[in-house]
Order: sequence, then C-alpha cells, then structure tokens
Amino acid sequence: MTDLLLENENARRLVKTLGLPIPVPEKLARSRGPYEERPLDEKKVLVCGVGGLQHVLAQVLTKAGAYPLVLGTSDAVLEPFVGPGEAWARAPRRVEPGEAPEGERVDAIVFDGTGLETPDDLHQLYAFISPWIRRLIRSGRVVVLGRPAADAKKPVRAATRAGLEGFTRSLAKEIGGNGSIANSVFVQEGADDRLGPVLRFLLSPRSAYISCQPFHVTKLAKADETPPETHVLGGKVALVTGAARGIGEATAELLAAEGAHVVCLDRPADDGPCSKVAQRIGGSTLLIDITDVDAPQRIAGELKERFGGVDIVVHNAGVTRDKTLARMKPEQWDMAVDINLGAVIRITDRLLSGSVLREGGRVICLSSVSGIAGNRGQTNYSAGKAGIVGFVRALAPKVAKKGITVNAIAPGFIETRLTDAMPVAFREVARRMAAVGQGGKPVDVGQAITFLATPGAAGLTGETVRVCGGALVGA
Amino acid sequence: MAKKKNGWGRKQRAVVVAGIRTPFVKAFGKFLKLDSIDLSDIAVKSLLERTDLSHDEIDSIVWGGVILPSLAPNIAREIALDLRLPASVEGMTCTRACATGLQAVTLAAAAIERGEADVVIAGGSDSTSNAPLNLPQKAVHALAPLAFGKAATPGDYLGVLAQMMPITDILPKMPKIAERTTGEVMGESAERMAKRNEISREAQDEFAARSHHKAAEAIESGRFDDEVAPVESPEGWVHADNIVRGDTSVEKLSKLRPVFAKDGTVTAGNASALTDGAAAVLLMSEEKAKALGYKPLAAFRSWSYVGVDPTDQLLIGPALAMPKALDRAAMELKDVSLVDMHEAFAAQVLSVTKALASKGFAQVRLGKSKAVGEIDEATFNVHGGSLSIGHPFGATGARMVTTMANELASTGAETALLGICAAGGLGAAAVLEAV
Repeated sequence: MTDLLLENENARRLVKTLGLPIPVPEKLARSRGPYEERPLDEKKVLVCGVGGLQHVLAQVLTKAGAYPLVLGTSDAVLEPFVGPGEAWARAPRRVEPGEAPEGERVDAIVFDGTGLETPDDLHQLYAFISPWIRRLIRSGRVVVLGRPAADAKKPVRAATRAGLEGFTRSLAKEIGGNGSIANSVFVQEGADDRLGPVLRFLLSPRSAYISCQPFHVTKLAKADETPPETHVLGGKVALVTGAARGIGEATAELLAAEGAHVVCLDRPADDGPCSKVAQRIGGSTLLIDITDVDAPQRIAGELKERFGGVDIVVHNAGVTRDKTLARMKPEQWDMAVDINLGAVIRITDRLLSGSVLREGGRVICLSSVSGIAGNRGQTNYSAGKAGIVGFVRALAPKVAKKGITVNAIAPGFIETRLTDAMPVAFREVARRMAAVGQGGKPVDVGQAITFLATPGAAGLTGETVRVCGGALVGA
Repeated sequence: MAKKKNGWGRKQRAVVVAGIRTPFVKAFGKFLKLDSIDLSDIAVKSLLERTDLSHDEIDSIVWGGVILPSLAPNIAREIALDLRLPASVEGMTCTRACATGLQAVTLAAAAIERGEADVVIAGGSDSTSNAPLNLPQKAVHALAPLAFGKAATPGDYLGVLAQMMPITDILPKMPKIAERTTGEVMGESAERMAKRNEISREAQDEFAARSHHKAAEAIESGRFDDEVAPVESPEGWVHADNIVRGDTSVEKLSKLRPVFAKDGTVTAGNASALTDGAAAVLLMSEEKAKALGYKPLAAFRSWSYVGVDPTDQLLIGPALAMPKALDRAAMELKDVSLVDMHEAFAAQVLSVTKALASKGFAQVRLGKSKAVGEIDEATFNVHGGSLSIGHPFGATGARMVTTMANELASTGAETALLGICAAGGLGAAAVLEAV
C-alpha cells in the first residue's frame, strides 16, 4: 500500500494548503547506482568539536568530494585540512562559532567529540551545533563522533561519552521531519583509520533510513589492506537467503551491483521468482528449504563445490507466525524460532567449521526492531530475532582473528508485502512513529546490509544496526 | 629459437631529427579550404623538403588526429599516398584527444626502440574548420528507407516525414568540445577547476598575456623560422601563426566577458582558440641518423600517460603524469632545464602548477613526502603555448616536441619536461634530453 502523504502530490499539497496538523514527511534522497569515488561530491560539511580525528576527517571528507567548513576561532583549525584540501582541490573554509553566516547552508554536520572529558564539555554540542540546525539542508546528515564509553577508565569520562549518544538520538527526532538523520559513531582508540568508510556511508544518501543509531568502530576484526571505494565487492561470492523478493531481492541486486556473484537461495516453491532475480543480476540460484535437517550441509557443499567458498552470507529468510502466547500452537512457535534463529546458527556454524566462509568474510543476520522492542502477538518471532542480537555479539570476537565480521540488521517499518497486510490504522501509526515520518524501502535495508558486507566495514562487528528511520520503539 | 631478422627486437635509441609545422591559424580563416589531410600533406612535404630525406629511407608514418575525417580516418596512409611515397611506407593513425600528437611521436619512438623501424615520420593535425556536421542518428535512420529505395508509396514518404518531427531533433548539431560521458563543455570544466583551485581571473589573464608576449617575441626574433613552413592556401600565402597578439595586455584581457559562467573567470582571452594546423616530426634510430648524416636534436628519456576521473577535475592529468615521467627518468622537477606545458586554459595550467607545488597533493595523490616543486618562471613555456600559438588538437604534442627539441639543441639545455592535459580526464608527459 502506498504512503499517500509521501507519494501523492495532491494529498501533500492538500494537507499543506489546509494547514492540517499532520506533518507531511519529506521525500528522502536516495542513492542510485553503485558506490562512487566521491559520494560527497560538492557537498558542504560543517566540521566542529574538539578531538583527535581532525586529520582523519580532513582526508576522508576532501577525498569524498566534500568542502570542509571548519568551526573555530583561529585559522589553526584549518591546518589539518590544508594538505588534503590541496590534494583534491577542496579548500577548507573557517567559520566563527556562534551565529551561522547569513545564507550559509550545509549538507552535513560532523561533530568530533573524541576530546570531551566532563559533562561541562558537552556544552560544545549545544554551542556548536545549535546555530546550524536550521541551516541543514533537506535529507541532511549529522554524525557525532566519540570514544566508546566502555573504554573510559574514569566514570566522569564514561558519562560524558555516553551523553553523546543520547544527544544524537534526540537530535535525530528533531531533524527527521526534514528527512535528515543523525547517528553517533564511537571509535575505539587505534581504530581511527577504519572510520573513513563508515563516515562515507553515513554521510551519503545510502544511509537514508538509518537514524538515532550508535555505531562502534573497533580494531577487533583483522583487516590489512586498504579497502576499495568503488566496485567494493569485486570478486566476492555472496549468499542471500530469502532472495526471491522484498529485502532479499533488493540486497541481492545491490550486492551484484558492487561486483559480487550472488547466490540467491530460497525455498524450492519459490523457484520462479528466485531464478528471475538470479538471472537479472547474473547470479546463481540455490533452492533449499533452510529448515531441512541437511540444509546446512547442502548449502556448504554447494558453495564449496561451485564457488570454492563464500565471502558474504546474508541470513535474510524469515517468517512470522503471529498469535498471542496463550493462543499460539506449538508448531507456530517452533517454526518462527527455528527459521529466524535456529537455522541461522546451524548454517553459520557449518560454514565456519568447514572453512567455507573465507577469511575476511562477512555474516549479516536479519534481526528486527520488534525483536528488540517487543510486539504483541510476536513472542515467538521476537524470541528468534532478539536471539540474533545475542548471537552476533557473541560470535564476533570468536571469528575476528580470521577477519570475519558478524553483524545484525534490525529493520523497522519497511514497506513490503508483510506490512501491506497490516490494518490501515496500525500501518499509519507505525509509519509516523519514525523520526523521518515514513516507512523505509527494502532498498534502505539492502544498502545497510551491502555496506556491512564491504571490506571497508571491517571496523564494525558484533553490532546490531537498526534501519528504522529513527523509530520511537526499540533502543 | 628462430634467428631474429631485420633488427626485430633489437634495442636502439630513438632520436628526434627534425620537426616542421604549418602556421597555426584561427579556425574558419585562411585554412578553411584545407582539410586535416591537406594540412598533414603540407607539413610532411615541408619536413621532407627541409631535411632532404630520401623517400626510400622512410619505414612508416604514425599520425594523429582528434576530429578524424570519417571517410578516410587513417590519415597516415593518405599522406603517404598523396605524397607518392613508396608504397612500402605503411601508416597508422592514433587518437588521444589533445595528447594525440605526443602519442604519435612516442609510438614512433617506441617502434624504433623496439627495432620495428628505423625511420618514422610522426605528427598530427586537425582542422576544426572542417569538422563534419553529422546528421543526428534519428534523421539517418528515418531517411534510410528513402536512401535505399525501399519507400514506394506516398504513405511511406509521409511516414518518414512524421518520424522527423520535431524538426529540431534532426537538424545537424554544431560541434562542441563536450565530454561524451558528462556532457560538460571543456570550458565549464576549466571554470570549475579555476573555482576549486582558487585561480583568480587576474592570474589567468596575466598568464595568458605572458603566453602571447613570449610567442610574439619568438616569432619576431625568427625563433620559429626553422620549425614553421609557410603554406600556400587557396586564400593566399600564410607565413606565421595568426592567433598570437603581441600587443595584448592584462588590462585588455580583463575587459573580456566570461564565456562559460555568468560570474566565471574563463574568457576567450585566457582559453585556447579553435585552430587549424599540422605538425610533423622526423624520428630515427641513432645509428641510422648518424649513417644518413643527420645531427639529432633530442631523445626521449621517458614518457607517461595517466587517466583521472573526468567528473572531478577534467584537466588535472599533467599533475600526475609529469611526476610519473620524472620518476621514470629518475629525475626531480628541479633537475629539468625546461618545462613546456600545453595551455588549454590558463586556469588549467595554473591549477596544475599549483598542484605540483603542493605538499598535500604530493603526499596524498603521489605518495611522496615533499612537493614535486615550483616551476621556475624563466624555464616555463619559454616561447608561449597553446593560448597564444593556437591548438589544433592533434598537432599540439608534435609542436611541443619540435620546439623543445630545437631548444635543447640550440641552447645547450639538458632536459625538457612536457605536460599535456586531454579530454576524457587524460594526462600525458614526457622527458626529452639533449643528444
């Protein structure tokens, strides 16, 4: 079902002209086509805050094509930006703290909070960002950088660091109406060189429906070479379960567009649509019911035999069997938990134990915001999807030495067959509960999965990333 | 292993023996009636006359052009046939946008160094005045049934007419120097580069004025007499380049209006003009040159060709190609005696020199700890460049090789670094050394 307030120009105009007290959601800017060399071409990015990431920011932003606008009281703040600025012909400019210059607008704001020590320092968030919020363009970006609270030895420092997350979440709700998003990134000491790709992703239109999220960049997973910036999955083999439609289909397309050979897996009953997807993207088809006892072995065997292994595994296949617990039949419980969690673990284990998943591999599991937040009638589904969160967190350190990362994606309200079946009122409410005031698209989830699958995402592992547009529910 | 014959695979040094060009003339002027092949014939004929080279000695011709005549794109072979050179003088024609002329010359040098040939004529030409105005494909396809006699009834003719609407779709399009992938006209790219590299209008005009003054001096002093051959065109004799304005000044140039953007800085005065002309270079193996009694002028120490993203800074290529050629020659910028850079736009030249002088650029883009260096004003484009002399696309590289080879031979300077930017985001460079 289409979102009238988003898709129908007449409805949008009507609401606006009548001045109805309904917020009209902003159409989100989205990326078309594969990864670009300069995802931030010609964008203006306000860089503010006091921290140790200025040199990294200078390199990343100018190379990505952005003009840095650096907040500071003297030209000394420009120093890290001069060299990279000359290299890519993106000269930095300085702006005075306080009132933003007349007519100046920015595409993104990046706050470096890695130097904050005490709650008093948090005042910088207010002082630096507040004057610029109204200068942020539509579908703008705010990224707040910090060090992980868990790594702080002093409680006061941990408190300060944790404060950044809360600030960002609330700010995300305030700017969502504009189609803008805000996220925080906590960079472990020594993992600064892994920030670049994360920043390129979060500042680009590829992250259109990711808001309110904390990301943790660590040096946990092994990674040695410089990650590619375009054709990021060239030479990789990817397995996508449930690839016949929806999020699976969108993901398979995006992975293929980055150069991966995608093995589209679905139930034998979905041969038609699954083969069509595989054919369209030049991939292969694998028809297996993942709940079969011999499924893990057959999948591992096929991948090993036909492709010599696999680099990316996307556990997307899932089902709902909704009933309140009192009314639920045992098979409904079993099915939902087994497909959403049991099969995921069995297949992953088999791929790992047989070394079918190669070094530098990527495992991405689909969780769900309702799994995190809880939802009436979904005790079985939530048990499975919340189980995923625990699974990736625990598995990540175990495979980090092999350079393998394990992450979960928790989609919020995504416009698919599943949500089309919801009663109108529920659907309307669910859409407007997001900070960006609308549902996401399968491609938004696909973009997040694809990013986690790239070599550049080596800094992220054990994470659960919500793709929910900053939904009110969940954490 | 079979015995190698006729020097195949033998290593020998290639040398530049001579170079001649036609005067470079503003497009739609005195060379209007001479197409690219005519101009090429004239340049090669002059080269043969001035060097008094026996035709039997020529192994091949390597030519270059950007707007190639669609009915006879292999200009090299047409030259050989037009000039009644021996049938054995084979020929090929290459194209690499504005670096075409240099490409033809380095192909010839490579063939000689490989032992493939001993005497090669290389060069390039372009006649913007004779750029074919193509019918849009839509019109060609619609008219095909008529052209091939398949239309029978009046209805068929009406059908063809109906396909031709709207009329603007089938009118021949004026040619413009636009990128095929981006549609951006080159002047717009230069305009963007000026902005991004913060090259002021004044700096551009100053550079353009300098180019004109240097070229005018060279012409007046007779410096080009050895390398420019007068041409008799249907409009009369042409003795010298006619774009150069010795009497121009920054003040005069500053009055011109920007062409590519309202608040822009690129004007007709600080951009190179559409030009007709041809240039030819005679290359030989060092042994052969000696045997035939020629005094070589120069040889190539290295060359390099690079590509950059055309949607970023289209004409920044030389900033990467020149350091690469220097690296290959095991040299530093400060070691070279002369630098000659193609002047597509003053903004482009100044963007490149700025990048070369930047430590940040060297660190990030070249992986070097210090800047490539500042180019010494006194050694830079000593006799002007494309802004003042003109720029027939395919000929410019051969012109630069000729002028620098003569400069090395006549002044005792040791080396010259060449740099050329080209459409498509290409860059080219070469290091010439005195022989």
